[in-house]
Amino acid sequence: MQNFLQILVSGISVGMIYGVIAFGYQLTFATSKTLNFGQGEALTLGALVGFTTVNFLIGMSLGTFWAYILALPLVFAFGLVQGSIVELLGVRQATKIKSEAGWIMATIALGIIFKNIAENVWGKDPLKFPSPVSEAPLTIGGVNVRPMEIIIVVGALAMMLAVELFNRRSIYGKAVVATSNDRDAAGLMGINTSRVITFSYALSSLSAALAGVLIAPITLTGANMGAALGLKAFAVAIIGGLSSGLGVVVGGLILGITESLTGFYFDTGYKDVPGLILLLLVLSFKPAGLFGKAAIKKV
Amino acid sequence: MLEIKNLVAGYGKVRVLNEISISVPAGQLVTLIGSNGAGKTTTLRAVSGMIKPEGGEILLNGRNIAGLASHDITRLGMAHSPEGRKVFSTLSVTDNLLLGAYPRLTKMRPKGDVDADLERMFDLFPRLRERREQLAGTLSGGEQQMLAMARALMLQPEVLLLDEPSMGLAPRLVEEVFATIKRLKAEKITMLLVEQFAAAALEVADYGYVMENGRLAGQGPADKLKNDPAVRAAYLGTGS
Repeated sequence: MQNFLQILVSGISVGMIYGVIAFGYQLTFATSKTLNFGQGEALTLGALVGFTTVNFLIGMSLGTFWAYILALPLVFAFGLVQGSIVELLGVRQATKIKSEAGWIMATIALGIIFKNIAENVWGKDPLKFPSPVSEAPLTIGGVNVRPMEIIIVVGALAMMLAVELFNRRSIYGKAVVATSNDRDAAGLMGINTSRVITFSYALSSLSAALAGVLIAPITLTGANMGAALGLKAFAVAIIGGLSSGLGVVVGGLILGITESLTGFYFDTGYKDVPGLILLLLVLSFKPAGLFGKAAIKKV
Repeated sequence: MLEIKNLVAGYGKVRVLNEISISVPAGQLVTLIGSNGAGKTTTLRAVSGMIKPEGGEILLNGRNIAGLASHDITRLGMAHSPEGRKVFSTLSVTDNLLLGAYPRLTKMRPKGDVDADLERMFDLFPRLRERREQLAGTLSGGEQQMLAMARALMLQPEVLLLDEPSMGLAPRLVEEVFATIKRLKAEKITMLLVEQFAAAALEVADYGYVMENGRLAGQGPADKLKNDPAVRAAYLGTGS
C-alpha cells in the first residue's frame, strides 16, 4: 500500500505536467482548430531560458528560491513571444492559403529549428536546474513527497485557473471564447480574431514554458527534454478531449499514474504502453475524448 | 447613411452578385426581397466584410468600407445579425449581449451606458431577461433569433443588417419578430432587412429592392412594390 501511494504521488506530478502541456494544445485548438506540434520544444526553450536566468540571478547572490520566482516573469514573457512567432511565421501563412496540413509541417519545422537553437546555445548535455526548494522529501502519512512535486501541482492548477478566470470574467477572455465558438460571428462583434489566435498561441507556449520550469528541477534540463513530453501530452489531449479543460487534468493524471504503476509493478521498459493502449481505445470508442463533447451543430 | 454602389462579390471563382446598388437612408428601413439563392445573404455578407467584395463601393457615412475586415467594419458602426443566428452557444445570454458591445467595452467606440442598454434589451425581449444566465446554445430557435438581434443592437449601430430574422420560426414567433422590427423602426434605427417573407417585410419597410439571380430586378417604395402585380405574382404568392 505504501509503495502504491508512493507511486501515485510521482504519477500525479508527472501527470500534472502532461496536463499543463495538453492544456496548451487545447488553447490553440479551441480558437483555430490547429495546434503547435513544436509544443515540446516550447517547453525545452522555456526551461532553458529559466535555467540561464535562475543561474544569472543566483550569480547576483540571490537565493535559489527568489531567483526562481523572479525568473518566472521572464520565462512567461519568452513563452508569449515564442508562441506568437510560431503562429505568425508558421500557422498563419499555412491557413491563409487554406492549406489543410500546412500548419502541421510548419509547426514541426519550427520545432526542429527551435531544438537546433537550443542545442547550439545550451549544448547537448543535460544540465542540472537549481531547485528552488529543498530536494529532501517531506514525509506525509508515510509517503515521501518532494516539495517540488507540490509546487508542480499548485503551479499547474494555478495556471489553468487563471486562464479560466480570464475567459469567464474579462471581456477579452469572452472574446477568446467567442472566437472558439464561431469565428465569423466573433468578427462581426468587432473582435480581431487573427489577433485572438496569435494570443492563444502565445498563451499555449507560455503554458509549455511553465511546464518546463516546473519539471526541470526534478529532472534534467536539455535540448531533448521536451520532445517526449510534448508527444505524451498530445496523447493526453486526445484522451481527455481537445475541448475539455477538466479532461486534460484527468487525462494527464491517468497517463502519469499508469506510467508510474507500470514502471514499478511491471517493467519500466513498458511504462508507456498502457497509456498508449488507452489512447487507441479512446480513439476507437470515444473519438472526442473521455470528456469531449461530440460536436453538435444547430442549423 | 449606407450606400452600396455596383457591388460585385462571390465565393472563390463563383460570382454571385452583379453590380448591386442599394441605398439605405438614415432612419429608414429598407428591405431586400427575393427567392432562395438570389444573393440576398451574400449581399449582406459582402457589406459587413464577411466576404471580400470583388468590385464596387460600400459607403458608410461617406467612407468606403469595401474590403475592410469585418471587425473593422463593426467598429465603424455596422451591426450584422447573420443568417443562422450564430449565437455563442457556450456563453450565457448576458455574455452574448456584452460581446455585442465589444467595441464599446474595449474603447474602440464611445462606451455610453452598456448596463443601461443591457436592461433595454431585456425590456425589448423579456424572454432573454428570464434566461439571462442560461447558455445561448440551450435557447430555442426563436429565443436565439431574439438574442442575435439584441446582440447586434448592443453595438448602438449606425446601421443594422438583419438577415432572415424569421427563418425557421413558428408563425406566432414570426409575428413577434416583425413587431420588434416595427419598434426598432419607430426608434429611427437604420436597417437593411433581408427576408423571404416578402409580404411581411414590405409591410414594415419604407423602401424595397427585389433581387433575382444576383441582380436587382426592381425597386420602389414598399407600399408600391406591395401592389405591383409582377412582384405579387413572383414573391407574395397572391398572383395566379
